[in-house]
Amino acid sequence: MDIIVCLKQIYDLAQIKIDTSKRPVTEGVARKLGDFDKNALEEAIRIKEKHGGNVFAVIKGAKDAAKEALAMGADEAILYNAGTESLGTAHILAEIIRKMKYDLILCGEASIDEYSFQTGPRLAQALGIPVMTYARKMEVRDGGVVVERDLEKTYEVAIAKLPALVTVTKEINEPRIPTLIQILGASKKKITETSPSKPDAGVETLSILAVEMKRKEVILKDVEALAKVIITEK
Amino acid sequence: MSIMLLYLSIFCCFIFSSLLIINFILFLQPWIKDNLINNQRNNIIGENMDFSFTEEQELFRKSVREFCKKNLAPHANEIDENGEIPHQVLEEMAAFGLLGITVSKKYGGSGADFITAAIAAEEIARADISMATAVYYLVGAGWGFLMDRYASEATKEEILPDVTKGKTFLGIASTEATGGSDIVSTSTTMEKMDGKLLLNGAKTFISGVREAARYGGGYVTIVKTSPELKHKGLSLCYLPVKDVQGITTSIFKQMGREGISTGTININSVEIPEHYLIGEWNRGFYYAMEGFNCARTLVAAACIGAAQKALESGIEYIKERHIFGAPLAKFEGIQFQLAEDFTKLEAAKLLVHKAAWMLDQMYTENRFSNNEINKAVASAKLVAPTAAFDIIKDVLTWYGAYGYTREAGLERGFRGVYSYIIGAEGAQNIMKIIIGREILGKEFEPY
Repeated sequence: MDIIVCLKQIYDLAQIKIDTSKRPVTEGVARKLGDFDKNALEEAIRIKEKHGGNVFAVIKGAKDAAKEALAMGADEAILYNAGTESLGTAHILAEIIRKMKYDLILCGEASIDEYSFQTGPRLAQALGIPVMTYARKMEVRDGGVVVERDLEKTYEVAIAKLPALVTVTKEINEPRIPTLIQILGASKKKITETSPSKPDAGVETLSILAVEMKRKEVILKDVEALAKVIITEK
Repeated sequence: MSIMLLYLSIFCCFIFSSLLIINFILFLQPWIKDNLINNQRNNIIGENMDFSFTEEQELFRKSVREFCKKNLAPHANEIDENGEIPHQVLEEMAAFGLLGITVSKKYGGSGADFITAAIAAEEIARADISMATAVYYLVGAGWGFLMDRYASEATKEEILPDVTKGKTFLGIASTEATGGSDIVSTSTTMEKMDGKLLLNGAKTFISGVREAARYGGGYVTIVKTSPELKHKGLSLCYLPVKDVQGITTSIFKQMGREGISTGTININSVEIPEHYLIGEWNRGFYYAMEGFNCARTLVAAACIGAAQKALESGIEYIKERHIFGAPLAKFEGIQFQLAEDFTKLEAAKLLVHKAAWMLDQMYTENRFSNNEINKAVASAKLVAPTAAFDIIKDVLTWYGAYGYTREAGLERGFRGVYSYIIGAEGAQNIMKIIIGREILGKEFEPY
């Protein structure tokens, strides 16, 4: 079974500061693989450990991100560095993945910097394969994949034939932390850098600015008044 | 009038020629930049000086930090309060490859170099600044490495795999009641008898006595084998502690790093197999000095890890804590201390990482003499614990009354790091003696 995992290297949001013009200051900020993306990679490695095959990590980011994915257990890493939003990224991923052999594609449910939840579904559409989102449990069997989809108050069991794309939530597993031996072993694995052609995604990113929260600045006299406001607002 | 015209023409010529020169310089500027300044830079830049870690080392630091944050830091308070590292934590550390990290893969280790081992020491001490877990880790890494180099194959196969699996403890038994640093006056003896080795004496202020007696394992032990030969009459052996006839132990209550025990091992006619001799008979002094260099480097690394954590939490605190309408960080009394502490820590890091790098260069490239290694390691061990102690003390003071509470978690670092100023793995004054001796020569030794 060949599994492709899509990952993105993001800035550690806890370290990001916002400057006076609302721009995020990224200089000197550490980068890491997206949290849910790592859940997707962990799940892929577990499926491989059970069923055999290969795990290919397709990563938007730099070489250190590839090394981390390889140390966790991916067999090969493909690096690219393009796309700033989900539609463009999905087109770029589709362009890369069309040249590859795969049975299953796994993505995190969202990236923790953008939280658009769209890249996975848009990629599936571009490739013309079934997509199942928000998987908190999954199993590969009989040429298909069975997924338990987390719908907050309820859940849904969905089945698709392979090839399919699944996006996973953080509840699905706990990603492994690579040991020294795994890190050293990863240096022998293949990393390919690719420059996809700029797809016409129809979306242009003009700027990335911090979200502005406007306060209502209402001053209340006592707790009772506050309780009233909370109740009526709800 | 003609004089005026002359002056004017001279003035115009001056202005014109100045403009010409300025234009010429501007015209030549790119050439000057490319050919003079850059060439000069190229002459300065060498290939060997690089202060960065490798990508693998950076990734390893990230991994260990994540591991320790998840598996060790939540237990830090309990380790100090209960005076014990939960065995589950040790098992998890072993499964992650941290215990006996420098031991070769053949015996279950990771075959780590000393820079990597130092990174792990820093991160472990960062998660548990009491130093207890760092001590457990570093004695195994330092002396496990020495056993891997010099112990017999039978001993290595018997002892090291259980150490790297976290099943048993490995430490160093050097200090005796008469002193620790003066190992030539070791009075514990070892003699050959009927194909076995017979030991008599006592070791004290030994780390991990309760752990070794409980979980099994033992010590790289310094013993006198030819009393008349002074330092050339010392040998090293592996001494097991659990359920060994003739061994009794007792434990001290200590000021700090209480998660790992410190105690006495009484050795009364203890027999061990001959293959427990480490290296050659009467060469123990040289092996011990080598082992101390490895362990001291890791001690110094643990100190900077604890200090780094304390300083980071201090920085957060002084930015948040307001007094007289301004954050503490705005007051120069605090800010200047921060600047000094940061610089002290950077200096200590450079010494520690250089010492670790020199050890790696010595073991892999056969570079550096003992003299150079001794100086580098002793300098790191001299500076790092003192810097860490000063930094933790300052941060604790910034925290005010809260810093004095156990909840703040700083005072256990204060107590723990002090053990490395007192003398664990060599007192600070001994480091000065080593540095002085290596600079001036043996004829200037004070003894």
